[in-house]
Amino acid sequence: MSALEEKTKEVSEGGGFTMLFFIIGLVVSLIFGWVVFPELLYSQKKQPFDFNHALHSELVDEGCESCHFFREDGSYAGVPQLAQCVGCHEDVQGETEDEAIFVNEYVKTGQEVPWLVYSRQPDCVFFSHVAHVKTAGMDCQTCHGDIGQSTSLKVYEENRITGYSRDIWGKNIAGFKTHTWDRMKMDDCSECHVNLGVKQASVQTGKGACFVCHK
Amino acid sequence: MKIDRRSFLSLGIGVTAGTTLSPLPWKLTDDLSIWTQMWPWTPVPKDGEVSYVHSVCTLCPGGCGISVRKVADRAVKIEGMDGYPGNDGSACPLGLSGLQLLYGPTAIQSPLKRVGERGAGKWQKISWEAAIAEVAEKIGRLREDGKAHTLGCITDSDCGTVPELFKRFLTAFGSPNFMRTPSCADTYEMTLKLMHGTDASPGFDVENANFVLSFGSGIIEGWGTPGRMFRAHSAWKDKKVKVVQAEPRLSNTAAKAGQWLPISPGTEGILALGLAHVIIKENLYDKNFVDNYSFGFEDWKDSTGKVCKGFKSVVTDRYTPGYVSGITGIDSGDIEALAREFAGASSPLAICGRGQGSVPGSIHEFMAVHALNALMGNLNRAGGVSAVQRADYITWPEPEPDRVAQNSLKNERADGAGSARYPYTKSLLTRLPAAINSAEESPIQALFVANANPCYTLPDTEQVREAFAKIPLIVSFAAHMNETAEMADIILPDLGHLERYEDVPTPFGMNTPMVGLARPVVSPRKGARHVGDALLLLAKQMGGSIAKAFPWTGYEDCLKKTMGKSWTGLTENGFVAKADYKPAGWDAAFATPSKKFQFMSEACGHEGKTGLGAVAAEGDPKAYPLVLIPYDSMRLSGGAVANTPFLTKTVADTVLTGKEAWAEVNPKTGGKLGLAEGVHATLTTPKGSVRVRVHFSNGMMPGMIAMPRGLGHTAPDAYLAGKGINLNALVGPVADPTSGLDAAWGIRANLVIA
Amino acid sequence: MKKAQEQNKPKKYGMVIDLDKCTGCGACMVACMAENNVPFKKDESNKKDSITWMRVYKLTNDEKYPDADICYLPRPCQHCEGQHGHSPCVSVCPATATDYSEETGIVSQIYTRCFGCRYCMAACPYHARYFNWWDPVWPEGMEKMLNPDVSPRMRGIVEKCSFCFHRYQSAMDKAHYEGRRDIEEGEYQTACTQACPAGAITFGDLNNPAHKVHELKKHPDAFRLLERLGTNPKIYYMSNREWVRKAGDNHLMAEKPAKKQH
Repeated sequence: MSALEEKTKEVSEGGGFTMLFFIIGLVVSLIFGWVVFPELLYSQKKQPFDFNHALHSELVDEGCESCHFFREDGSYAGVPQLAQCVGCHEDVQGETEDEAIFVNEYVKTGQEVPWLVYSRQPDCVFFSHVAHVKTAGMDCQTCHGDIGQSTSLKVYEENRITGYSRDIWGKNIAGFKTHTWDRMKMDDCSECHVNLGVKQASVQTGKGACFVCHK
Repeated sequence: MKIDRRSFLSLGIGVTAGTTLSPLPWKLTDDLSIWTQMWPWTPVPKDGEVSYVHSVCTLCPGGCGISVRKVADRAVKIEGMDGYPGNDGSACPLGLSGLQLLYGPTAIQSPLKRVGERGAGKWQKISWEAAIAEVAEKIGRLREDGKAHTLGCITDSDCGTVPELFKRFLTAFGSPNFMRTPSCADTYEMTLKLMHGTDASPGFDVENANFVLSFGSGIIEGWGTPGRMFRAHSAWKDKKVKVVQAEPRLSNTAAKAGQWLPISPGTEGILALGLAHVIIKENLYDKNFVDNYSFGFEDWKDSTGKVCKGFKSVVTDRYTPGYVSGITGIDSGDIEALAREFAGASSPLAICGRGQGSVPGSIHEFMAVHALNALMGNLNRAGGVSAVQRADYITWPEPEPDRVAQNSLKNERADGAGSARYPYTKSLLTRLPAAINSAEESPIQALFVANANPCYTLPDTEQVREAFAKIPLIVSFAAHMNETAEMADIILPDLGHLERYEDVPTPFGMNTPMVGLARPVVSPRKGARHVGDALLLLAKQMGGSIAKAFPWTGYEDCLKKTMGKSWTGLTENGFVAKADYKPAGWDAAFATPSKKFQFMSEACGHEGKTGLGAVAAEGDPKAYPLVLIPYDSMRLSGGAVANTPFLTKTVADTVLTGKEAWAEVNPKTGGKLGLAEGVHATLTTPKGSVRVRVHFSNGMMPGMIAMPRGLGHTAPDAYLAGKGINLNALVGPVADPTSGLDAAWGIRANLVIA
Repeated sequence: MKKAQEQNKPKKYGMVIDLDKCTGCGACMVACMAENNVPFKKDESNKKDSITWMRVYKLTNDEKYPDADICYLPRPCQHCEGQHGHSPCVSVCPATATDYSEETGIVSQIYTRCFGCRYCMAACPYHARYFNWWDPVWPEGMEKMLNPDVSPRMRGIVEKCSFCFHRYQSAMDKAHYEGRRDIEEGEYQTACTQACPAGAITFGDLNNPAHKVHELKKHPDAFRLLERLGTNPKIYYMSNREWVRKAGDNHLMAEKPAKKQH
């Protein structure tokens, strides 16, 4: 506040002050809200090591499903487990430092990699990948963007309050989105379901019933 | 220049406006609402690939096939295994809650050595090597002192590889004192021995019976294999098979039965003879069977030429409906009608063993009930009772005891089983406490306890604890802390029921020989070892002929070699059963001296004079005007494995409130005693006195008090210990004069307002 | 598989419980607790705060010995349809935490949405809803048995039977994987139905003539609890004992029992 006080001294007394103070308050809080707050809200976390999606997808036959596959019971396996990677990465085979970390710290010790999952949803959410991919014929990009083409993993920004990734709310702090994959909030799911008329079976809301995506 | 109030307010308005126009409040609201939806300390179970492991539940002797759902490496749910003989997909509440034992806090994590007073619960963790060495040294000294026969062993079963390993150890060591925990299987097996002449266990074809007469058996309260009996019970409803239940208390079985006979307790055998009377008098029995395949129905002359009374004479002379009605309290017209109905069915099945069958019962009662099946020729055929040969897959070469062991094995058993007094009885564990307490030096100097909790389950608990206190060395193989493990000197923790391999041979009541495989569902905890492995280690440490008797590298090796070719089928299907099995025909079924079914046995000949009387309840009727009868419930485990938290949660608040147990009495009886619903009262029996709350129930026979088994645990479990009363502490054993087995069905008692 | 034209027909899941077969063993209660991560406390004998989505009640006929009789009545959430889905609890929930789905006929409860006002508990005539007065506590190690398909709840919210909706989700997942848009009767069964050793519970789509419940609910011995309240529950009970059927609806002494329709 000392800076503020100095500034106010320079201005002579009168009605202009009121406006000035208003503007100062407005500007400072706008800066705080739009610039500082997001910085404070999210902590930056690095993945255990880097991963090159683009490189791997060139080597596999079935695209994303090669590693992110469905089990026979229809459940979605999610992030690959160590056992899937070991087939190729039993020993260090490339030249990258990241692969060496992977092999030495995880493959050799048998520990699962503690990946930070950008799309991790709260426990109460049930999401059927198979219904969206197999039955509705959606592609991965619609929700996940072009992570499949990325050559490195971006910084994981964790919300200090909720513990979830910034990707759920979206990069834009105001919540605006330009692509379907920019946000992963319930409203985004609902928006699509409403547009497509998927299971609008709720008696309370006339929209999608809760027991579709919740458990 | 000063910042006046106006400027300050304006700043505030600016901040408010700016904040409102920034994402901060909206985003914070959203984040906070997400945060408060689920506190960070609420567990989030990890997801993973789902798989199922088939195993066999060994929490009770029922041996149901189970299917355990796993998510990655965690077991998350137990379900009944489809297609398993008997239970076929169903399971009981105890079995369903088995994961609470697996992951519960009572599992013992390492070998323990007692450091404080016995039973004080003070333990020191020791290594397996040290524990085995100490036990070996202590029992080795017994052998040196010529007291090898004073090593005893108590387990829940006498067939299957684990009990056989114990027997083998005792034989190689030099002790005859292998003891099985008592149950109605003891009396049933003896019944088959005396009447069929076979060393077999009873098989009941409940699926094909079309009239069921139960003498107090808790058909839907845990008798036999619970899952199987429940399924049969429902099938009877569909097929309109009539069930008649003779029992003094309106149990669930009685309530569900087509007819409930509220019988004076202890007189069930008399009722069976009364029914036989009518069946014989009215010529309703199977003449082909009785004339051609039985002995002792008509009077006969023994080897000395003396005329012996046959079953027909005994029954027709004395057990008239009027006489039986007077004793049992059942209307004589009802007795006659029931006898005709029973005899009119094509496959009438009579069964006994009260409640879950945890008390062996009177041999006369069992023989009388079994005679009903025989009268109808309902033996070894569809819908009837058959003698199922004991498991025959264990074909180890006989151990070769050394000289010390050979001499020592000549000693009589400490419990009196197999002695001149009780020649047909294999195990008399209920007599052991008295034998120890009456002796100067305990006839059991070292005791192994596995899969059993005698300090909780045996009658007259106080006497049992007193006896155990006199045994210098008690080794417990418990997986979970229990009352007996608390009395031990050394605990060698066994693997839990979902952590280990074990063969589960034909459970009591199954009419097809089979063996199931219990197998590890999750990787076992580190500090525990399979009881079989512990025994092998001990044998190895003992060295000499004892070590030689155990040529296996470990229990798994022993089991695989024992099962031989069956192992593949066992691991693939979870069980091996002889699908085409048929019990022997009548001409080949009986191995009695007459090669026929024997209605009368010489074993109980000397009792003929006194009649096949009812077993009286202990206690003086004047001091104890009422009678206390224990009952069994599916919601309480009265056996070696105690209730899980989930199971205790299902117990009604008229059975247990806080730590207080309730006693059921008829309102009329309660009224006479000046009691009211919910009042506190003192329940006294010749064995002890406890404080209870009174629950009025119209299902109780006047003059009776009923309380459930399965409460009153003292072993450390925050969810169970100290709740209610252990009924076994209030009831003492009453020895059957012929078998020596416990035949107590209740005890005289008094109930006084507190 | 059902015919294509029937694929999007709304389902109405429900149960028929044969009270003559029910033995009161409690397997359904335990299976439910294990399946749905229902918490447990050191003392559960105060039944007012003991959470049991499925509770088995003991009914007695009040006759004197030896004419006394017992019947057990398992009571899950009745998944009332009311009038067009306006079940008692759904109508009063101010948070849209409980909802009626016209697709399955299941009354849902979303724990993260509930703020614990307990209006629904007051509205439910079947005492099928439970309030978490405490945070659940699993003894160390026992949280390993938690089912990941069901969210553990925290204190301050209401929970109830969901007809094991997560099992429907799993069954649908499998159907989607196999290119089907619908599931067979046996693919979706609640934990209590599966566990009942007596086979007393039949679960299925009341609207679907191919499902067993469709016929069973029309049995002359079938009745529902407190039918005259108009809650239109989807749990049917069956008993050939008249006193049991009468116990399904309680009446004031002076009141004339409503005529039951089959």
